[in-house]
Amino acid sequence: MGNERTPPGFAAALKKASLSAFVALILFSLMVGVRTEAGPTGQLIYWTRFGELAGLVSAVFAGSLILELLRSWFGPLDTGKFIPAAADGPLKLAQRFFPLALLIFTLIFPVIFYEKRYILDLGILVLTYVMLGWGLNVVVGLAGLLDLGYVAFYAVGAYSYALLATTFGLSFWICLPLAGILAAFWGVLLGFPVLRLKGDYLAIVTLAFGEIIRLVLINWQTLTGGPNGITGIPRPSFFGIPLTPGDDGFAARFGLEFSPTHRVVFLYYLILALALLTNWVTIRLRGLPIGRAWEAMREDEVACRALGINITTTKLTAFATGAMFGGFAGAFFATRQGFISPESFTFHESALVLAIVVLGGMGSQLGVALAALVMIGGFELFRDFEQYRMLVFGLAMVVLMVWRPRGLVGHREATVFLHHRTEISAELSREGRG
Amino acid sequence: MTVPLLAIHGLQAAYGKIVALKGVDIEIKPREIVALIGANGAGKSTLMMSVFGRPRANAGRIEFDGHDITGLSTHEIARMRIAQSPEGRRIFPRMSVAENLQMGADATEGTETERRDSLDRVMALFPRLKERLTQRGGTLSGGEQQMLAIGRALMSRPRLLMLDEPSLGLAPLIAKQIFEAIRTLNKQDGLAVLIVEQNANHALRLAHRGYVLVNGLITLSGTGAELLQRPEIRAAYLEGGRH
Repeated sequence: MGNERTPPGFAAALKKASLSAFVALILFSLMVGVRTEAGPTGQLIYWTRFGELAGLVSAVFAGSLILELLRSWFGPLDTGKFIPAAADGPLKLAQRFFPLALLIFTLIFPVIFYEKRYILDLGILVLTYVMLGWGLNVVVGLAGLLDLGYVAFYAVGAYSYALLATTFGLSFWICLPLAGILAAFWGVLLGFPVLRLKGDYLAIVTLAFGEIIRLVLINWQTLTGGPNGITGIPRPSFFGIPLTPGDDGFAARFGLEFSPTHRVVFLYYLILALALLTNWVTIRLRGLPIGRAWEAMREDEVACRALGINITTTKLTAFATGAMFGGFAGAFFATRQGFISPESFTFHESALVLAIVVLGGMGSQLGVALAALVMIGGFELFRDFEQYRMLVFGLAMVVLMVWRPRGLVGHREATVFLHHRTEISAELSREGRG
Repeated sequence: MTVPLLAIHGLQAAYGKIVALKGVDIEIKPREIVALIGANGAGKSTLMMSVFGRPRANAGRIEFDGHDITGLSTHEIARMRIAQSPEGRRIFPRMSVAENLQMGADATEGTETERRDSLDRVMALFPRLKERLTQRGGTLSGGEQQMLAIGRALMSRPRLLMLDEPSLGLAPLIAKQIFEAIRTLNKQDGLAVLIVEQNANHALRLAHRGYVLVNGLITLSGTGAELLQRPEIRAAYLEGGRH
């Protein structure tokens, strides 16, 4: 919005801060300034808290002033400004190898932290959200369809696996693709009614869709067990070999001493493989016409149509692909927990995954992974301050959006390189013609 | 008499209750440049868009190469190799120039060689795009964006190219380059072109034939040179029509 505008001076910053303080005053005057409670006989009693109100409003004023001043001093953050030209080469090299280093780290992670169960569990949790983020990234980041009900597909995947495994005794490896297919089917089902919706309207319908799925899960007691959820979901086996202490268990077969950590490590590599599959498929799709069509659709739907792109199939495939990955993640969640209930699939999850995608930089695979690490890891760090977690989260979001409006990794990698190919072809034809 | 490539008979179209086209007949023959001129709100863009089914025709018939395309959906019509450079260019700003061009070729069937041929032709026509292939579409200047929009349309190897106000907002020199490129396309490849323009002078000089659209009806038609001579055209769109 204000990129081309000259940095405002102190007066402008003061004006803006006053305005923010005024808005805060209106908002907080009833939320904080007046406290109401039911009296002993049921009547309403209230008292005023002007001290707290004044504190909050002045905090907003000071914060806004500092923010505006910082902005006018630094200008829009441009990394090029701070980095000397000499550091440019090594930095580019570091940028290229960073993803590889990260991948190697995630691969040897269980070896490093083999003894630390808590950290291993946290790693699994982060990877689950990385996978969810990458899945939603297809819908939101690439296709530009704002989906606030992504948790629905996570739930469909989890319940698909739980029901198939507990009712029919099917193994995880058979249920996994089924869960993905079922979730994709629900993705298409959601896609149809919202084909003509965009932006806010789309967001509202997808939000409702997520809630509908959750409410159905709560109320369809005969199938889903209602609020009690489903218990006794089978744990995954190591390709048919159960990870149990028994004689035919994994440890016994491979001549190892049984340890419950084996299962955790196995789960870790399972979700890592699933996440990498998601990433690989997404990267491959981006280079294909369908992936390009998703991105072009995000940019301009009308132009896409005029170029002969079928918007209906493009949208539905985006929803289906994103939903399928959500379904895989859901099946993994169910097998890891061994117990699922509708409580795990609230709007909060959708919002969290969406926040990961937006913070990461819409469409950037690396950014989404980093954002998942920061957010989920951050949540764990602040576990002791549970009450203030959302506050810190909100603050971090505001700060990041002010300084990096395009997300952590705002850079978009191009997928078509006509230049080199045509140069080669031109050279070849020149040679051929002599 | 040659069979027309595009034939529109009695086309009526409306946006809700607002009637934009009240029964329009036009024809474009193969290898022909046809200009459609008219004032703001005459229905020029509507006519072009309703060939693509948006807005859909309320009455009348649109035929392309002898096939009735009136009821087809937009992407099906585009796949019959009718390409357009829409009003406002509508390039994909966050995608690279190369990706924009590739998007033009994606939906139409064709071999890799054909795609490369089309690309070479676009590069020959607009050498400036060649230097900018890796740049994001949104970072191009207005003229380059127009070139990109036309280039993208050409990537589908169209049989009919429809251009909506290609000179809008461009410096006269750049506009001239664009018109020159259109003339070259027509001469070299025999590409049929429908050009919608407010810049009547340029458009009529370029075109073999022209139609004048007023309030959703064709009021005049003739060769470009004829129309340029007509006093009412001169008064309305050339001298008096200057804003």
